Amino acid sequence: MKRIILAAIVFAFVGLANTYGQVGGHFAIQYDISFGTGNLGEYISQPSFRGASMQYRASLSDQFLLGIDAGWNVFYEEKPYDSYTSGTQTLSGKQYRIQNQVPLLVSADYILTADKAVQPYIGLGIGTMYSERVTEMGYYYIEENPWHFALKPELGLMYEVGYNTKFKFAAKYYTGFPAGELETQGYFTISTGFAFEF
Amino acid sequence: MRRNVFLLLSAVVMLVSCYPDGAETYQDMDIVYTNYDEKFDFVSKGTYSLPDKIVKITGNLAAGELPEYVTEPYNTQILNRIESNMTALGWTKVDAANDPDLALLPASWTNTTVYYWSDYWCWYYYYYCGWGWYYPTVSTVTTGTLVLSLVAAGEEYIDPSIVWVGAANGVLSGSYNTSRVNDAIDQAFEQSPYLNTK
Repeated sequence: MKRIILAAIVFAFVGLANTYGQVGGHFAIQYDISFGTGNLGEYISQPSFRGASMQYRASLSDQFLLGIDAGWNVFYEEKPYDSYTSGTQTLSGKQYRIQNQVPLLVSADYILTADKAVQPYIGLGIGTMYSERVTEMGYYYIEENPWHFALKPELGLMYEVGYNTKFKFAAKYYTGFPAGELETQGYFTISTGFAFEF
Repeated sequence: MRRNVFLLLSAVVMLVSCYPDGAETYQDMDIVYTNYDEKFDFVSKGTYSLPDKIVKITGNLAAGELPEYVTEPYNTQILNRIESNMTALGWTKVDAANDPDLALLPASWTNTTVYYWSDYWCWYYYYYCGWGWYYPTVSTVTTGTLVLSLVAAGEEYIDPSIVWVGAANGVLSGSYNTSRVNDAIDQAFEQSPYLNTK
Protein backbone atom coordinates (compact mmCIF):
# COMPACT_ATOMS: atom_id res chain seq x y z
CA MET A 1 0.00 0.00 0.00
CA LYS A 2 2.69 2.48 1.01
CA ARG A 3 4.72 1.79 -2.16
CA ILE A 4 1.70 2.62 -4.33
CA ILE A 5 1.14 5.88 -2.44
CA LEU A 6 4.81 6.85 -2.72
CA ALA A 7 4.92 6.13 -6.46
CA ALA A 8 1.76 8.18 -7.07
CA ILE A 9 3.13 11.12 -5.10
CA VAL A 10 6.49 11.05 -6.92
CA PHE A 11 4.88 10.98 -10.37
CA ALA A 12 2.43 13.75 -9.46
CA PHE A 13 5.18 16.03 -8.22
CA VAL A 14 7.51 15.36 -11.15
CA GLY A 15 4.64 16.23 -13.47
CA LEU A 16 3.89 19.42 -11.56
CA ALA A 17 7.57 20.38 -11.51
CA ASN A 18 7.58 20.49 -15.29
CA THR A 19 4.95 23.24 -15.48
CA TYR A 20 7.59 25.97 -15.14
CA GLY A 21 7.14 28.92 -17.40
CA GLN A 22 3.37 28.86 -16.92
CA VAL A 23 3.07 29.91 -13.20
CA GLY A 24 5.90 31.24 -10.99
CA GLY A 25 6.80 29.32 -7.87
CA HIS A 26 9.03 26.46 -6.81
CA PHE A 27 9.30 22.75 -6.37
CA ALA A 28 11.12 21.66 -3.20
CA ILE A 29 12.40 18.39 -1.87
CA GLN A 30 13.67 17.93 1.66
CA TYR A 31 15.15 15.35 4.00
CA ASP A 32 13.19 15.08 7.27
CA ILE A 33 14.21 14.21 10.81
CA SER A 34 11.14 13.74 12.98
CA PHE A 35 10.32 13.42 16.66
CA GLY A 36 7.05 11.86 17.79
CA THR A 37 4.94 13.65 20.39
CA GLY A 38 1.95 12.61 22.49
CA ASN A 39 0.61 9.14 21.66
CA LEU A 40 3.16 8.60 18.85
CA GLY A 41 6.03 9.69 21.12
CA GLU A 42 4.88 7.26 23.81
CA TYR A 43 4.55 4.42 21.30
CA ILE A 44 7.94 5.05 19.63
CA SER A 45 10.40 7.15 21.63
CA GLN A 46 13.19 7.01 19.01
CA PRO A 47 13.42 9.86 16.47
CA SER A 48 12.87 9.07 12.80
CA PHE A 49 15.83 9.53 10.44
CA ARG A 50 13.92 7.99 7.54
CA GLY A 51 11.84 10.83 6.18
CA ALA A 52 11.36 12.98 3.11
CA SER A 53 8.93 15.63 1.95
CA MET A 54 8.13 17.41 -1.30
CA GLN A 55 6.36 20.69 -1.86
CA TYR A 56 4.94 22.38 -4.91
CA ARG A 57 4.29 26.10 -4.57
CA ALA A 58 2.71 28.55 -7.00
CA SER A 59 3.39 32.26 -6.37
CA LEU A 60 0.14 34.17 -6.09
CA SER A 61 2.15 37.28 -5.27
CA ASP A 62 5.74 38.11 -4.25
CA GLN A 63 5.02 37.05 -0.69
CA PHE A 64 2.15 34.59 -0.85
CA LEU A 65 2.59 31.01 -2.10
CA LEU A 66 -0.01 28.27 -2.41
CA GLY A 67 0.52 24.63 -3.19
CA ILE A 68 0.56 21.03 -2.08
CA ASP A 69 2.76 19.02 0.27
CA ALA A 70 3.50 15.33 0.52
CA GLY A 71 5.74 13.45 2.90
CA TRP A 72 6.74 10.06 4.23
CA ASN A 73 8.27 9.47 7.64
CA VAL A 74 9.12 6.08 9.14
CA PHE A 75 9.30 5.71 12.91
CA TYR A 76 10.83 2.51 14.25
CA GLU A 77 11.79 1.10 17.62
CA GLU A 78 12.98 -2.34 18.71
CA LYS A 79 11.77 -2.93 22.27
CA PRO A 80 13.92 -5.30 24.35
CA TYR A 81 12.48 -8.58 25.68
CA ASP A 82 9.75 -7.66 28.15
CA SER A 83 6.42 -8.82 29.60
CA TYR A 84 3.12 -7.11 28.79
CA THR A 85 0.21 -7.82 31.16
CA SER A 86 -3.49 -7.15 30.72
CA GLY A 87 -5.75 -8.53 33.43
CA THR A 88 -4.84 -12.17 33.96
CA GLN A 89 -2.99 -12.47 30.64
CA THR A 90 0.73 -11.91 30.17
CA LEU A 91 2.67 -12.00 26.92
CA SER A 92 6.47 -11.88 26.87
CA GLY A 93 8.77 -11.32 23.93
CA LYS A 94 10.60 -8.74 21.83
CA GLN A 95 8.39 -6.12 20.25
CA TYR A 96 9.09 -4.33 16.98
CA ARG A 97 7.17 -1.10 16.53
CA ILE A 98 6.94 0.55 13.13
CA GLN A 99 4.82 3.55 12.24
CA ASN A 100 4.60 5.12 8.78
CA GLN A 101 3.21 8.62 8.44
CA VAL A 102 2.19 9.96 5.01
CA PRO A 103 0.83 13.52 5.14
CA LEU A 104 -0.89 14.96 2.04
CA LEU A 105 -1.79 18.64 2.47
CA VAL A 106 -2.80 21.82 0.70
CA SER A 107 -0.46 24.50 2.06
CA ALA A 108 -0.01 28.23 1.99
CA ASP A 109 3.20 30.12 2.85
CA TYR A 110 3.74 33.79 3.58
CA ILE A 111 7.26 35.08 2.96
CA LEU A 112 8.09 37.83 5.42
CA THR A 113 10.93 39.45 3.43
CA ALA A 114 10.62 38.48 -0.22
CA ASP A 115 13.17 41.04 -1.43
CA LYS A 116 16.03 39.92 0.83
CA ALA A 117 18.57 37.14 0.31
CA VAL A 118 17.36 35.28 3.39
CA GLN A 119 13.60 34.79 3.18
CA PRO A 120 11.91 33.63 6.39
CA TYR A 121 8.37 32.41 6.00
CA ILE A 122 5.44 31.04 7.93
CA GLY A 123 3.03 28.51 6.55
CA LEU A 124 0.01 26.38 7.28
CA GLY A 125 -1.11 23.16 5.68
CA ILE A 126 -4.46 21.44 5.87
CA GLY A 127 -5.35 18.02 4.53
CA THR A 128 -5.07 14.39 5.45
CA MET A 129 -2.46 12.08 6.92
CA TYR A 130 -2.22 8.30 6.59
CA SER A 131 -0.89 6.43 9.63
CA GLU A 132 0.18 2.81 9.50
CA ARG A 133 1.04 1.43 12.93
CA VAL A 134 2.42 -2.11 13.02
CA THR A 135 3.28 -3.89 16.28
CA GLU A 136 5.16 -7.13 15.68
CA MET A 137 5.64 -9.73 18.41
CA GLY A 138 6.90 -13.17 17.51
CA TYR A 139 5.36 -14.37 14.27
CA TYR A 140 2.25 -12.21 14.84
CA TYR A 141 1.47 -8.55 14.33
CA ILE A 142 -1.29 -6.02 14.90
CA GLU A 143 -1.84 -3.31 12.28
CA GLU A 144 -3.86 -0.12 12.52
CA ASN A 145 -4.04 2.17 9.49
CA PRO A 146 -6.49 5.07 9.63
CA TRP A 147 -6.58 8.29 7.63
CA HIS A 148 -6.61 11.41 9.82
CA PHE A 149 -7.66 14.97 9.23
CA ALA A 150 -4.35 16.83 9.53
CA LEU A 151 -2.91 20.28 10.10
CA LYS A 152 0.66 21.44 9.70
CA PRO A 153 1.98 24.79 10.95
CA GLU A 154 5.42 25.58 9.54
CA LEU A 155 8.23 28.05 10.13
CA GLY A 156 11.16 28.19 7.77
CA LEU A 157 13.56 30.14 5.65
CA MET A 158 14.91 30.06 2.12
CA TYR A 159 18.30 31.28 0.95
CA GLU A 160 19.36 31.61 -2.69
CA VAL A 161 22.42 29.46 -3.37
CA GLY A 162 22.42 29.34 -7.15
CA TYR A 163 20.53 30.18 -10.28
CA ASN A 164 16.84 29.54 -9.46
CA THR A 165 17.91 27.31 -6.58
CA LYS A 166 17.33 28.03 -2.92
CA PHE A 167 18.34 26.22 0.22
CA LYS A 168 15.14 25.53 2.18
CA PHE A 169 15.10 24.86 5.90
CA ALA A 170 11.91 24.41 7.91
CA ALA A 171 10.48 23.37 11.26
CA LYS A 172 7.06 21.77 10.94
CA TYR A 173 4.56 20.21 13.30
CA TYR A 174 2.18 17.63 11.86
CA THR A 175 -1.03 16.84 13.77
CA GLY A 176 -3.36 14.07 12.71
CA PHE A 177 -6.64 14.17 14.63
CA PRO A 178 -8.13 10.99 16.16
CA ALA A 179 -9.25 8.45 13.57
CA GLY A 180 -10.01 4.75 13.63
CA GLU A 181 -8.34 3.15 16.63
CA LEU A 182 -5.60 5.76 16.90
CA GLU A 183 -5.60 8.87 19.04
CA THR A 184 -4.09 12.15 17.81
CA GLN A 185 -0.81 11.44 16.06
CA GLY A 186 1.62 14.35 16.21
CA TYR A 187 5.26 14.79 15.35
CA PHE A 188 7.75 17.60 15.00
CA THR A 189 9.94 17.66 11.87
CA ILE A 190 13.17 19.42 10.91
CA SER A 191 13.40 19.58 7.11
CA THR A 192 16.43 20.53 5.05
CA GLY A 193 16.62 20.57 1.28
CA PHE A 194 16.41 22.64 -1.85
CA ALA A 195 13.75 24.57 -3.71
CA PHE A 196 13.95 24.86 -7.50
CA GLU A 197 12.22 27.91 -8.87
CA PHE A 198 10.32 28.11 -12.09
CA MET B 1 16.77 21.99 -13.20
CA ARG B 2 15.14 18.72 -14.22
CA ARG B 3 18.42 16.87 -13.68
CA ASN B 4 18.76 18.36 -10.19
CA VAL B 5 15.21 17.37 -9.33
CA PHE B 6 15.68 13.77 -10.45
CA LEU B 7 19.03 13.45 -8.69
CA LEU B 8 17.60 14.71 -5.43
CA LEU B 9 14.45 12.59 -5.79
CA SER B 10 16.61 9.50 -6.28
CA ALA B 11 18.76 10.35 -3.26
CA VAL B 12 15.77 10.90 -1.02
CA VAL B 13 13.97 7.75 -2.20
CA MET B 14 17.15 5.75 -1.53
CA LEU B 15 17.42 7.21 1.97
CA VAL B 16 13.80 6.49 2.79
CA SER B 17 14.06 3.01 1.27
CA CYS B 18 16.33 1.98 4.17
CA TYR B 19 13.30 0.37 5.77
CA PRO B 20 13.77 -1.24 9.20
CA ASP B 21 14.15 -5.02 9.06
CA GLY B 22 12.64 -6.20 12.33
CA ALA B 23 13.61 -9.56 13.86
CA GLU B 24 17.01 -10.89 12.80
CA THR B 25 17.31 -14.23 14.64
CA TYR B 26 14.90 -17.08 15.44
CA GLN B 27 15.22 -16.26 19.14
CA ASP B 28 13.98 -12.71 18.52
CA MET B 29 10.63 -14.18 17.54
CA ASP B 30 10.05 -16.38 20.62
CA ILE B 31 7.01 -15.42 22.67
CA VAL B 32 5.50 -16.81 25.90
CA TYR B 33 1.85 -16.43 26.88
CA THR B 34 0.22 -17.22 30.24
CA ASN B 35 -3.27 -16.85 31.63
CA TYR B 36 -4.88 -18.00 34.86
CA ASP B 37 -8.13 -18.23 36.78
CA GLU B 38 -7.84 -15.45 39.35
CA LYS B 39 -10.54 -17.05 41.53
CA PHE B 40 -8.51 -20.24 42.01
CA ASP B 41 -6.49 -20.45 45.24
CA PHE B 42 -3.08 -21.83 44.17
CA VAL B 43 -1.50 -21.20 47.58
CA SER B 44 -3.72 -23.76 49.32
CA LYS B 45 -2.64 -26.52 46.88
CA GLY B 46 0.65 -28.35 46.79
CA THR B 47 0.63 -31.50 44.66
CA TYR B 48 0.45 -32.10 40.94
CA SER B 49 0.78 -34.96 38.48
CA LEU B 50 2.78 -34.89 35.24
CA PRO B 51 2.56 -37.48 32.43
CA ASP B 52 5.77 -39.11 31.19
CA LYS B 53 5.10 -38.21 27.53
CA ILE B 54 4.21 -34.99 25.72
CA VAL B 55 1.46 -35.52 23.14
CA LYS B 56 1.81 -33.99 19.67
CA ILE B 57 -1.46 -32.56 18.38
CA THR B 58 -1.58 -33.15 14.64
CA GLY B 59 -5.29 -32.56 13.96
CA ASN B 60 -5.67 -35.65 11.82
CA LEU B 61 -5.99 -38.43 14.39
CA ALA B 62 -8.40 -41.10 13.21
CA ALA B 63 -10.66 -42.98 15.63
CA GLY B 64 -8.73 -45.74 17.37
CA GLU B 65 -5.33 -44.37 16.35
CA LEU B 66 -2.70 -43.71 19.00
CA PRO B 67 -1.42 -40.12 19.18
CA GLU B 68 2.14 -39.15 18.39
CA TYR B 69 4.49 -38.07 21.15
CA VAL B 70 7.57 -35.88 21.34
CA THR B 71 10.63 -38.04 20.75
CA GLU B 72 13.45 -38.65 23.17
CA PRO B 73 15.66 -37.12 24.46
CA TYR B 74 13.66 -33.92 23.96
CA ASN B 75 10.61 -35.32 25.78
CA THR B 76 12.57 -35.99 28.97
CA GLN B 77 14.48 -32.69 28.75
CA ILE B 78 11.24 -30.72 28.58
CA LEU B 79 9.52 -32.67 31.37
CA ASN B 80 12.56 -32.30 33.63
CA ARG B 81 12.62 -28.55 33.06
CA ILE B 82 8.92 -28.28 33.89
CA GLU B 83 9.40 -30.35 37.04
CA SER B 84 12.33 -28.26 38.27
CA ASN B 85 10.31 -25.05 37.83
CA MET B 86 7.30 -26.49 39.68
CA THR B 87 9.55 -27.72 42.51
CA ALA B 88 11.08 -24.24 42.82
CA LEU B 89 7.55 -22.86 43.25
CA GLY B 90 6.86 -25.26 46.11
CA TRP B 91 4.91 -27.97 44.28
CA THR B 92 5.35 -31.72 44.84
CA LYS B 93 5.00 -34.16 41.99
CA VAL B 94 2.91 -37.26 42.75
CA ASP B 95 1.48 -40.08 40.68
CA ALA B 96 -1.87 -39.46 39.04
CA ALA B 97 -3.32 -42.30 41.12
CA ASN B 98 -2.46 -40.50 44.37
CA ASP B 99 -5.14 -37.80 43.99
CA PRO B 100 -3.01 -34.75 43.13
CA ASP B 101 -4.50 -31.27 43.56
CA LEU B 102 -3.76 -30.42 39.92
CA ALA B 103 -2.75 -32.21 36.73
CA LEU B 104 -0.12 -30.55 34.54
CA LEU B 105 -0.76 -31.61 30.94
CA PRO B 106 1.84 -30.63 28.32
CA ALA B 107 1.10 -30.75 24.59
CA SER B 108 2.78 -29.51 21.42
CA TRP B 109 1.98 -28.82 17.78
CA THR B 110 3.50 -27.27 14.69
CA ASN B 111 1.86 -25.02 12.13
CA THR B 112 3.16 -24.40 8.63
CA THR B 113 2.11 -21.30 6.70
CA VAL B 114 2.67 -21.39 2.94
CA TYR B 115 3.22 -18.12 1.07
CA TYR B 116 2.56 -18.29 -2.64
CA TRP B 117 3.08 -15.33 -4.94
CA SER B 118 2.32 -15.16 -8.60
CA ASP B 119 1.59 -12.25 -10.88
CA TYR B 120 1.15 -11.50 -14.50
CA TRP B 121 1.79 -8.51 -16.68
CA CYS B 122 0.08 -7.29 -19.78
CA TRP B 123 1.54 -5.39 -22.72
CA TYR B 124 -0.58 -3.80 -25.37
CA TYR B 125 0.10 -4.13 -29.05
CA TYR B 126 -2.53 -2.53 -31.22
CA TYR B 127 -5.24 -3.10 -28.58
CA TYR B 128 -4.27 -6.72 -28.08
CA CYS B 129 -3.07 -7.72 -24.65
CA GLY B 130 -0.34 -10.31 -24.81
CA TRP B 131 -0.10 -11.90 -21.38
CA GLY B 132 3.19 -12.63 -19.71
CA TRP B 133 3.81 -14.02 -16.25
CA TYR B 134 6.43 -13.93 -13.52
CA TYR B 135 7.79 -17.18 -12.09
CA PRO B 136 5.72 -17.93 -8.97
CA THR B 137 7.52 -18.02 -5.65
CA VAL B 138 6.67 -20.25 -2.72
CA SER B 139 8.00 -19.96 0.80
CA THR B 140 6.99 -21.55 4.07
CA VAL B 141 7.31 -20.69 7.73
CA THR B 142 6.80 -23.35 10.40
CA THR B 143 6.11 -22.38 13.99
CA GLY B 144 6.11 -24.67 17.01
CA THR B 145 4.03 -24.31 20.16
CA LEU B 146 4.40 -25.97 23.57
CA VAL B 147 1.32 -25.64 25.78
CA LEU B 148 1.25 -26.40 29.51
CA SER B 149 -2.15 -26.64 31.18
CA LEU B 150 -2.83 -26.97 34.88
CA VAL B 151 -6.15 -28.74 35.28
CA ALA B 152 -8.19 -28.91 38.48
CA ALA B 153 -10.56 -31.81 39.03
CA GLY B 154 -12.30 -33.25 42.04
CA GLU B 155 -15.55 -33.26 43.91
CA GLU B 156 -15.97 -29.49 43.78
CA TYR B 157 -15.77 -29.47 39.96
CA ILE B 158 -18.51 -30.68 37.61
CA ASP B 159 -15.98 -30.88 34.76
CA PRO B 160 -12.20 -30.60 34.92
CA SER B 161 -11.23 -26.94 34.63
CA ILE B 162 -8.07 -25.34 33.30
CA VAL B 163 -6.85 -22.97 36.03
CA TRP B 164 -3.54 -21.99 34.39
CA VAL B 165 -2.17 -22.15 30.87
CA GLY B 166 1.29 -21.38 29.61
CA ALA B 167 2.16 -21.40 25.90
CA ALA B 168 5.54 -20.91 24.23
CA ASN B 169 5.65 -20.20 20.49
CA GLY B 170 8.56 -19.75 18.12
CA VAL B 171 9.69 -20.18 14.54
CA LEU B 172 11.28 -23.58 13.99
CA SER B 173 14.89 -23.38 12.85
CA GLY B 174 15.14 -26.97 11.64
CA SER B 175 17.03 -28.31 14.64
CA TYR B 176 16.01 -28.65 18.28
CA ASN B 177 17.40 -25.74 20.31
CA THR B 178 17.56 -26.73 23.99
CA SER B 179 18.30 -23.24 25.29
CA ARG B 180 15.33 -21.67 23.47
CA VAL B 181 12.93 -24.30 24.86
CA ASN B 182 14.36 -24.05 28.40
CA ASP B 183 14.22 -20.26 28.34
CA ALA B 184 10.59 -20.36 27.23
CA ILE B 185 9.57 -22.83 29.96
CA ASP B 186 11.42 -20.80 32.61
CA GLN B 187 9.75 -17.60 31.40
CA ALA B 188 6.27 -19.16 31.58
CA PHE B 189 6.75 -19.89 35.29
CA GLU B 190 8.65 -16.66 35.99
CA GLN B 191 5.71 -14.56 34.77
CA SER B 192 3.31 -16.62 36.93
CA PRO B 193 4.26 -15.66 40.52
CA TYR B 194 0.72 -16.57 41.69
CA LEU B 195 1.71 -20.27 41.25
CA ASN B 196 4.09 -19.95 44.19
CA THR B 197 2.76 -22.04 47.10
CA LYS B 198 5.60 -21.26 49.53
